[in-house]
Amino acid sequence: MSATARHDAPGMLAGRPLEEWNAAYSKVESYFHALRVRNKVLLGQLVARVLERAMQRSAREPARSATELAVEEMDRLVNEWFAQVLQAPPAGADMLSTRGRLALLLADMPGQWQDQFLRPGPWPEEFALKMREAYLLAGPDFQLAKMTPRPLDLGAIATLTQLSRLPYFKMAASWALFGLLLVLLFYLTHR
Amino acid sequence: MRTAPPIAGSAAAQDEPPEMAQMPRLRRGWRVFIFYSSAVLLTGLAAWLFADLIWRTGWSLSGAVLLGLFTVLFLLIAVGCMNGVFGFVLRLTGDRRITRLKDYRGQSIQGASTALVFPIHNEQVPRVCEGLRATYQSLQKTGLLDRFDFYILSDSSDPDKWVEEERRWSDLVGDLDALGRIYYRRRVVNEGKKSGNIRDFLSTWGRRYRYFIVLDADSVMRGETLVDLVRLMEAHPQVGLIQTVPALVNAVSLFGRMQQFANRLYAPVFITGLNFWAQGFGNYWGHNAIIRTEPFMQHCDLPQLPGVKPFGGQILSHDFVEAALLLRASWQVWLAYDLEGSYEEAPQTMIENARRDRRWCQGNMQHGMVVWARGLRGVSRLHLALGILGYLASPLWLFFLLTFNWMLWYEAHTGLSIITVRPLTPFLKVSAKQHALLIFVLCMVMLFLPKVLALADLARDRERRRAFGGMLHATLGAVAETAFSTLHAPLQMLWHSKFVAASLFSVGVHWGPQKRSADGIAWSQALGEHWAHTAIGVIWGAAIWRLDHPAFWWFAPVVLGMVLSIPLSVWTSRASLGEKARRLGLFVTPEETAPPPELAGLRARMAGLEKAGETRSLPPDAGLADAVLDPYVNAIHVSLLREKRQNPAYVQALAELRAGRPEVRTLCEKLLAHGPGELQRDEKLVILNDAEVLPWLHRQAWLRPSGTLAPWWQEQIRKYAR
Repeated sequence: MSATARHDAPGMLAGRPLEEWNAAYSKVESYFHALRVRNKVLLGQLVARVLERAMQRSAREPARSATELAVEEMDRLVNEWFAQVLQAPPAGADMLSTRGRLALLLADMPGQWQDQFLRPGPWPEEFALKMREAYLLAGPDFQLAKMTPRPLDLGAIATLTQLSRLPYFKMAASWALFGLLLVLLFYLTHR
Repeated sequence: MRTAPPIAGSAAAQDEPPEMAQMPRLRRGWRVFIFYSSAVLLTGLAAWLFADLIWRTGWSLSGAVLLGLFTVLFLLIAVGCMNGVFGFVLRLTGDRRITRLKDYRGQSIQGASTALVFPIHNEQVPRVCEGLRATYQSLQKTGLLDRFDFYILSDSSDPDKWVEEERRWSDLVGDLDALGRIYYRRRVVNEGKKSGNIRDFLSTWGRRYRYFIVLDADSVMRGETLVDLVRLMEAHPQVGLIQTVPALVNAVSLFGRMQQFANRLYAPVFITGLNFWAQGFGNYWGHNAIIRTEPFMQHCDLPQLPGVKPFGGQILSHDFVEAALLLRASWQVWLAYDLEGSYEEAPQTMIENARRDRRWCQGNMQHGMVVWARGLRGVSRLHLALGILGYLASPLWLFFLLTFNWMLWYEAHTGLSIITVRPLTPFLKVSAKQHALLIFVLCMVMLFLPKVLALADLARDRERRRAFGGMLHATLGAVAETAFSTLHAPLQMLWHSKFVAASLFSVGVHWGPQKRSADGIAWSQALGEHWAHTAIGVIWGAAIWRLDHPAFWWFAPVVLGMVLSIPLSVWTSRASLGEKARRLGLFVTPEETAPPPELAGLRARMAGLEKAGETRSLPPDAGLADAVLDPYVNAIHVSLLREKRQNPAYVQALAELRAGRPEVRTLCEKLLAHGPGELQRDEKLVILNDAEVLPWLHRQAWLRPSGTLAPWWQEQIRKYAR
């Protein structure tokens, strides 16, 4: 950071106001927080490394904000590191990023290997192996089978279920019920 | 991979329906005959007395209707009473426990692989995971964990719950070092609800396991009990399913603790009675049961019923039907009522209890169709019929009371006075009032005798007495629970009658939103749910008082329950009152006196989570935010989605959902630019189902300039800053 900052005017860093870099710092730091990098010293170093790369691009791309440059560099740095650690064949950034993040989690980077994150190789063999072999097993191998429902022979009762499909059945049924009610009331009140 | 290996060849060997050597048909037939004949005999006696009473006061059509209703209702309580009487006598005269038919303890389970499945649907995720943890750790202590695999089978339709389930599953697996032992799977489409969820599991992994044990979202089972269940299955190859009797636990409210107490005190006697006549032809209650996979897969895929709702369509209460289908295929279904270590939780309030009844009622009414299916065993028809009558009894009771009221009104309206004559029964030298009282006493005996017998059963066992806090406290608890259930019964009658009517006419039942106060149900919610009950109680009570003062006192318990429904609902929902009762030694259960380690651990962990605010409901779209922004949650989610591609059924379902199509990107752009508030739930689900778009979305949400993102995203990103 010092190389890029050397010729800056007061209140400026790599040709941009300090406030702009502060915002970039916050965004990059937030992402590393999201990755559960909790050690403050390591965190500070990592963010500074990212901002250094962003500052190098700063003069060439004045139209873009410091935050944009910083998060882009962060993404690039993390993916390059994933490709090296995982010895991954060239693949899309999305694919690599997903695999790398999953590997970090399963290798327990936040718990045991924070100091190895984004560090150039060679890495401890255990860590590298854990990263490369990380695979999330949500279920064992499928053994597909087909279950076939056996029909229930409901006999005569099944035909009753078709009654409601007769046209005007419900209307006729409600009239019949009404009639029955009248008969009942008449009987009960004229005994 | 540490998955228990599939049992090669064993499945085919178990295809054959077994010989039914242990349960001779005649013996079982006699048991059913003796048991139900006792109930019918008692009902005959009571119906005779009732008919005689009606004859004395003047025969009429309404009297005949009343007699018919009385007979049906009395038969139901007589069956319940006989369960208690037979159970008590059996426990008194010697244990004929089903688990003692053969010494199974020495049975090896090394050749058997078993899956424990937890079907869930928008449940409280921390509780599900902690219940699973308790069961897992208990099983670990048996040293036989390697014979079991655990599956969380999610059917959650809430996007936030879905993501939370994945996150907590990943944490749990990490904590227990159980990757490759505890699995998580969410179905793309939840066709067939719970039974469809199980079927999907069986179609995908069923062949790997000789047995599977179904647990509910709130189930916990002791490791030894799980091992015992597998041993029992191994020792009895003719058995297709063994149902345990889950003990209700972890209740805190007064209502919950009373239900829990009643379950623990009365169930042993009742279930022993039930087992007397059911024997190897028991029933399945949907969870806390072990099932032999192969016959279940062969015979228990449920067909759609012909016709339309409420009777046609998908079978809702699948458990009874699945047991009936296993029995039809000559497999036995056992009730291992003497196995301890099987637990579940119960609703904590009267309203929650009614909501659950609403679901069960609809399913049981549908059995009105299944009960006629050809080929079912007679015992299965009995189980189905009893299930239906369990709910139908309420409208019948209501109709009985209304008919009686009609007779009172008719009498008052016409001004005719009743002239009583001598009864037909020659030795019954009592007045009409005494005659009515005799019938009433007989009914009360039928209702309360099983409770008395359960207390007598408790008195015989010193250990159990202690576990219930001593005989005096248990008796006081039973009296208080009986008083409460007397007031609760009329409310159940109104609720169930409404549910039955709603089921028959395919009408939805509206429930207000849950409004919980810090300590149970809020008064406003109780008012919303019970105002009609209170109004009915007041009007009904006033009407009877006006018609006939003496009759009012007969009806007082019924109308009192209705009139007091609001305070009853609020007060019994209070955890503070539940705790106060516990301090007084009331409603104490064995699991409260000496909590088993599984439950003690579960309670401690849940208390810790509650304190840390982990059990609070998440803010809207919290799951979506996690799935997109959190680097790990996003990676887990995408990884699980990619695994789905190996299953052709899921591939097809995802294609039908439009996952992977270009238009999903358009939805994502909308999500980024305007936030989740602009998307429908189905649109969010489409995005969350797309394994291609989510990694892209993750990077875009972090890389895009803040000005191009909706303020909602900026707010979510700020949460990661310290």
